[in-house]
Amino acid sequence: MSAEKTYVEDVDRSFYDFRFEDRDNYRVSSGLTEEIIRQISKEKHDPDWMLEFRLQSLKVFEQMPMTTWGPSIKGLDLQNIVTYVRPNTERMHAKWEEVPENIKETFERLGIPQSERESLAGVGAQYDSELVYHNVRKEVADLGVVYTDIESALRGEYADMIRERFMKLVPPTDHKFAALHGAVWSGGSFVYVPPGVTVEIPLQSYFRLNAPGAGQFEHTLIIVDKGANLHFIEGCSAPKYNVANLHAGCVELYVGENATLRYSTIENWSKNMYNLNTKRARVEKGGKVEWVSGSFGSHVSYLYPMSILKGEGARCEFTGVTFAGAGQNLDTGCKIVHDAPKTTSYVNTRSISKSGGISTFRSAVVVTAKAENSKSSVSCESLMLDDESRSDTIPVMDVRTNQADIGHEAKIGRISDEAIFYLMSRGLSEEDARALIVSGFAENVSKELPLEYAVEMNNLIRIEMKGAIG
Amino acid sequence: MEKIINEPIAGTFGWLHVGGTKVTLPDEIKEQEIALAKGETKTVFLEDDGSLLSIKAKLPENAKLHLILLRRSEAAKSCFTDVRVRLEDGAEFTWHRFILGGKETYDNVSVELAGKGSRFAADLGYDLKDEEKADVNCEAIHLGKKSESRIRSFGVLAKKAGKLLRGTIDFRRGCAGSIGNETEDVLLLDDTVHNQSVPMILCTEEDVVGNHGATIGRPEERLLYYMASRGIDETQALELLSRAKLEAVLHQIPEEDIQQTIREAKGWT
Repeated sequence: MSAEKTYVEDVDRSFYDFRFEDRDNYRVSSGLTEEIIRQISKEKHDPDWMLEFRLQSLKVFEQMPMTTWGPSIKGLDLQNIVTYVRPNTERMHAKWEEVPENIKETFERLGIPQSERESLAGVGAQYDSELVYHNVRKEVADLGVVYTDIESALRGEYADMIRERFMKLVPPTDHKFAALHGAVWSGGSFVYVPPGVTVEIPLQSYFRLNAPGAGQFEHTLIIVDKGANLHFIEGCSAPKYNVANLHAGCVELYVGENATLRYSTIENWSKNMYNLNTKRARVEKGGKVEWVSGSFGSHVSYLYPMSILKGEGARCEFTGVTFAGAGQNLDTGCKIVHDAPKTTSYVNTRSISKSGGISTFRSAVVVTAKAENSKSSVSCESLMLDDESRSDTIPVMDVRTNQADIGHEAKIGRISDEAIFYLMSRGLSEEDARALIVSGFAENVSKELPLEYAVEMNNLIRIEMKGAIG
Repeated sequence: MEKIINEPIAGTFGWLHVGGTKVTLPDEIKEQEIALAKGETKTVFLEDDGSLLSIKAKLPENAKLHLILLRRSEAAKSCFTDVRVRLEDGAEFTWHRFILGGKETYDNVSVELAGKGSRFAADLGYDLKDEEKADVNCEAIHLGKKSESRIRSFGVLAKKAGKLLRGTIDFRRGCAGSIGNETEDVLLLDDTVHNQSVPMILCTEEDVVGNHGATIGRPEERLLYYMASRGIDETQALELLSRAKLEAVLHQIPEEDIQQTIREAKGWT
């Protein structure tokens, strides 16, 4: 077999790497002080309890140590991060034509309005720290589905519902960046799907961070009530700057009895981004959460969506792909807690590392004594495309009952010579054979995404295979 | 002396408490250096007695060391062993560990496969009950080309027994052509047991193959049903299944007298 290697291109980011002159309307000073928190709270017209919550979170943040086990975040100096940047628009718009021209052009170039017209039930678009556009189809709203920005919801008829749940799944004490989020959060979406309602086509939120040296801290809170069904899609991108940007969003998902929520993420932050995002779902009896996660961007990522299976028969599926190229250290995976009888989880992930990129799959499957007759299956595969890169698999299984069946398998390796030989014996060139294998490796995620709207994923999964080089 | 031991090469989520373990080490330390000549083969069989047993070995070309460690069920003291081995070209190290019980067992095995074609095989067998605990850290660090490691673990947990196994296969840059496999099979007999498994594969070399597989859970119902249909009641069936876990490791030992010693320690005839 030839010793030549196929060169696999980095994900082509030029599509996302455009920027507009910084013309934001208002921004706080960089760093983190009580004064800054009070300014953010005032700008956002927070209710009193929220200001208190922010200040408490700041205290937690100041006392909490950094984690020691993940990728280095030494390049991130919070004193240089601007935590709130209001874009050049005074309010959120429900009509696309009313969105300011440069912001509109950004989202036009990312294909968001086109997707909305063609295949989405509703769209929210966040630019820096604020949502600038939010709309939901009339037929979906008529079903009682609420899809709005979280700030409006905090002051409206759903205020109590939000107060009851806001940062209850991910408390500020969870980790240092959860505390930071609690202090400076801004923007994000609130979704409520009433009992028995199925939203036939997905809702999408798109997060764009345009300002250099800024942080984005959006909060997404989704409640899918009993027997309801929703697919929510989250997309993220940013232009590349030579200063560090920070994303420390928070996603809290409440999946009711016999409800289903699919939460898909295509993350393509620029390679100066520290993506320290926290996502968590609580699933009640008979409910199901499905995570579909594609991680392609960021300089450093810490991303482990967590599913807490609280009700009997609750289920979780996690499907993920991570592609780490030059200068990237992507630490991704998932956490699952089986805390009720007959709960099941299924995890299937792929990692690809190239050009010195570091990809780590990290997981935790915890089965408590209450989770009799539960089952879990974890499968993770890693592909190394050169010998400059790194790929680690760090799973943990913690089982506290004998009434459970837990399986785990992990594989790491390069493109198999046997597979190439087989494909070549069927008439493919070596180059085509390698290309086919690499494309197929990431298929677990691409096949889970709805084809008709996948504007962003289509650009990301375009892994180009070029001629063999030495 | 208070110390954190059994720290794996890579850390993970703090709330799982699977990083190092804080312990009070005994005052008495028994140190043993095992020296072998090139091509020499040696088998060492040891029983731990509650002290801190530290074993170091550097195996030159084509030397073969087989280390068998037994922890008896009646052992009352906590036991600590720390095994560090470096393998040169073609050298082989086999570690067989039997934990038949005892209050607390802490094992660290760290093997550097430095030489081309060096090999490391680890087989852990345990049968824990009541409040017995085992905390094991096993590392295969691949440095040499075409080196091979295999970490296997078979065990049974009953009542309030607990086990934490961190098994790491670490492929370092330059170990091209290396293979590492890890398998774990844990039988859980009661709903008060606590099993923690941390099977890591770390990799900075492209041309390697690493695999891990684990099955953790109760006895298969269809197996119990089959045994019942052959007149074997559930208690006997569970005993048979438990014995099978240890026998899977015992059969790997060529020396029949050592096999017999371990069977006798277990009360098997």
